[in-house]
Amino acid sequence: MAEAAHAPSHAAGAPHSATGIDSRKLLMWIFLASECLFFGALISTYLIFKGDIPFPPASFIADHLHGGEVTGWFPSDRIGPDGTEYAGVLNIPVTSASTFVLLMSSVAMVLAVFGAQNGRPKMMKTWLFATMLLGILFLGFQVFEFHEFGAEGLNLSTNQFGASFFVLTGFHGAHVTVGVLMLGSILIGSMRRTGLGPDSGFHVETVGLYWHFVDVVWIVIFTIIYLIPA
Amino acid sequence: MSVESGHAAGAHERSHPTVRQYLLIGLLLTLITVVELIASYSDLGSLLIPILFVLSAVKFAVVIAYFMHLRFEDALLTRIFVVGFVLASAILISLLALFWTDGAISNR
Repeated sequence: MAEAAHAPSHAAGAPHSATGIDSRKLLMWIFLASECLFFGALISTYLIFKGDIPFPPASFIADHLHGGEVTGWFPSDRIGPDGTEYAGVLNIPVTSASTFVLLMSSVAMVLAVFGAQNGRPKMMKTWLFATMLLGILFLGFQVFEFHEFGAEGLNLSTNQFGASFFVLTGFHGAHVTVGVLMLGSILIGSMRRTGLGPDSGFHVETVGLYWHFVDVVWIVIFTIIYLIPA
Repeated sequence: MSVESGHAAGAHERSHPTVRQYLLIGLLLTLITVVELIASYSDLGSLLIPILFVLSAVKFAVVIAYFMHLRFEDALLTRIFVVGFVLASAILISLLALFWTDGAISNR
């Protein structure tokens, strides 16, 4: 019974590849490996552009001068060669809070998987719901941040930093959104009379793999964008 | 069937973490994040980036190994993920090298 509860890869009748690993799990790991390449390319682009942001044109300075500082151009505070002060857009305290939220969502997810794999449906549903809520909270932080940046003058077309930042974090946000939808779908599925079926542990584990990967990507993004100075 | 059963038993011989261990891992990840934040606000000079990279790498490895259970899975899955990660790192290094001119990154 214990082995059955702890053997999500081989539920009865589950398709398996010639390697002996459930083909659905194999596919998810292959997909995650491809996602490494996807985000690797976006992170590379961001790093390249972060390292060489030209100073803004006079028109931008004139439109975004507030309280003696120009906003919405650079990631962090800077002083131009002519003495112009530029206020950085990045808000590390707020993003640290969102990072903590996403980290806790990963903890919640692993507890949901534990519940699913150990025949504890109430635990599974509770922590699935918690993971969803935390994911939505993280997305709320992202929306707030994007709105603040837009108000300060930074958007996709402002400069190369803006373009690479919004593409990178925007795609990550899109992945989180997909993850939230996946969590919602298995949560709804778990509330049916038949629940998620005999493969419930496996389904939750598979969604969990995707969710943890999204968290892992944010670990890298948070370090590179917010912690490492330009 | 016997191959898969034996394979399943082999893959799960090491017991998965308990709830308490998962919570401790979550606490560890939080602490590492706090240390990263403190480091980013401290005047560490050229040591800052290596320290942040090491701390992020530890968090990355811990989530992959324990939360994603890769430590308890078949070695093939580890190889699949590592291939993707290594290729992504190679892309990163190649692009940075391509745009690195005279000790500075330039995209002009």
